[in-house]
Amino acid sequence: MTSADLISLLQGAGVTVALSLAAIVIGVPLGLGFAILVWRRIPLLQLIVKTYVSLIRATPLVTLGLLIYFALPAVGLQTGPVTAAILTLAINTTAFNCEIWRAGLTDFPKDQIESAQAFGMSWSHTFRRIMLPQVVRTCLPALVNEMTLLLKGSPAIAVVGIVDVTRAAVRIGANTYEPLPPFLLATALYAAIVFVFVRAQRWLERSSKLDEVRA
Amino acid sequence: MCKARSFACATWRLMLLAAITALALSCIGTGQAASLDDIKKRGYLLVATEDDYKPFEFVQDGKPTGFDNEMLELLKKHAPFEVRQDIIPWTSLLAGVSTGKYDVALTAALITKERAKSFDFTMPIADATHYFVKRKGDQSITEIKDLNGKILGIQAGSGLLQRLPELEAMLAQTGGKVGKVVEYTSYPEAYQDLALKRTDFVINTIINLQALVKEKPTVFEVGLPVSGKSYPAWAVAKGNAELLAFLNGFLAEQKKNGTFAQLQKKWFGQEFTDLPAKWEPEF
Repeated sequence: MTSADLISLLQGAGVTVALSLAAIVIGVPLGLGFAILVWRRIPLLQLIVKTYVSLIRATPLVTLGLLIYFALPAVGLQTGPVTAAILTLAINTTAFNCEIWRAGLTDFPKDQIESAQAFGMSWSHTFRRIMLPQVVRTCLPALVNEMTLLLKGSPAIAVVGIVDVTRAAVRIGANTYEPLPPFLLATALYAAIVFVFVRAQRWLERSSKLDEVRA
Repeated sequence: MCKARSFACATWRLMLLAAITALALSCIGTGQAASLDDIKKRGYLLVATEDDYKPFEFVQDGKPTGFDNEMLELLKKHAPFEVRQDIIPWTSLLAGVSTGKYDVALTAALITKERAKSFDFTMPIADATHYFVKRKGDQSITEIKDLNGKILGIQAGSGLLQRLPELEAMLAQTGGKVGKVVEYTSYPEAYQDLALKRTDFVINTIINLQALVKEKPTVFEVGLPVSGKSYPAWAVAKGNAELLAFLNGFLAEQKKNGTFAQLQKKWFGQEFTDLPAKWEPEF
């Protein structure tokens, strides 16, 4: 392996992180929005969300990627590889995040909501000030878990021509006929990225606990 | 519609899900290939190449290179319109051409009967007779009949897989059989497993194997041919006759001025001077 190979692996790591982050930034809030629709039992919309979630949970990332990249032009929508990749990852992770948020919302103690309303708090006020801070805390580990799964599932989007860490490793292996060294390095890069995610989770958990103590 | 959790409801939903998926999938097949006129009108030709098929297309130091990439450079100069390139894995390459996302699969796609149903192929760009490769110094394989019952590694979805009946016929003459077949998404993994003794031999085209042995002379050794004639070529969507004629014209010109043979020598280690202008696959 040459230094150019190393650079291409690092570039691949950059692509992996950037695309995963884009999907997370879209998927976490959107998942929450969808979960609220189901939790509040909004007619029709909750049915749509439920269908979406079960459909996407049953679809492998590779299939979804191929579908988005090759099927959308057939209906007149041209997508570049990057757009297709972000769409694929976001559509996938939103479904899983929706379920995580929904569990958090469903499990939220009713008495707290009732007390808040007894004090005359509006629904949105109750949601923002009472529910959300607590739900975020309960859901955080599961959300970060899903983020790391997304990150490690992201090589699937190579089918649309994205060069992530894994594809960069494949290319190097194809040239040198020694796939092992680039794959080991790729593994180390994934581990480093996931480590950062997990540290961020710990830090968030700790700082929200401090808030609690102060409050 | 129906009460949640009932079995009938679950079945109904599942059927709906399957129907939607099938509908979406059927959309894929209906893509329209761009004709030469369409390409001229929009001003560019979009070709797709691979990134892990040495010596045809591979990436070295972050740059695409190999026989097809050099041909592509020449095509860019030859074409009266812009030529754009996307590099994608083999898995989605042919699908990309059949859906009309790409105009040309500018790669060494083996011409097979099955593929000829959905694609039109240019004139062959190399000889791709299939050989087997074994571990260097493996004394248990010296003749074709020694392959009886041995574990074979081969690329999934490859044209090579469709030629296995030929090897089966060869082995049957001596009362032998093809052993377990392990399929890989790409060849580097298949070679790695051969080196690790998980398989006993790998089948690929002579060019790919020569490139492999050149790089790893102490690990691998090219064996004997296991197929009849076989040729790789570039592919366009079925019925895209004008684009095919344009590409064939380009290839004929490169053959005439000697560049074609020169590039073959450079990347394959040998010239193939007796390539047919058109090849009707038997398999």
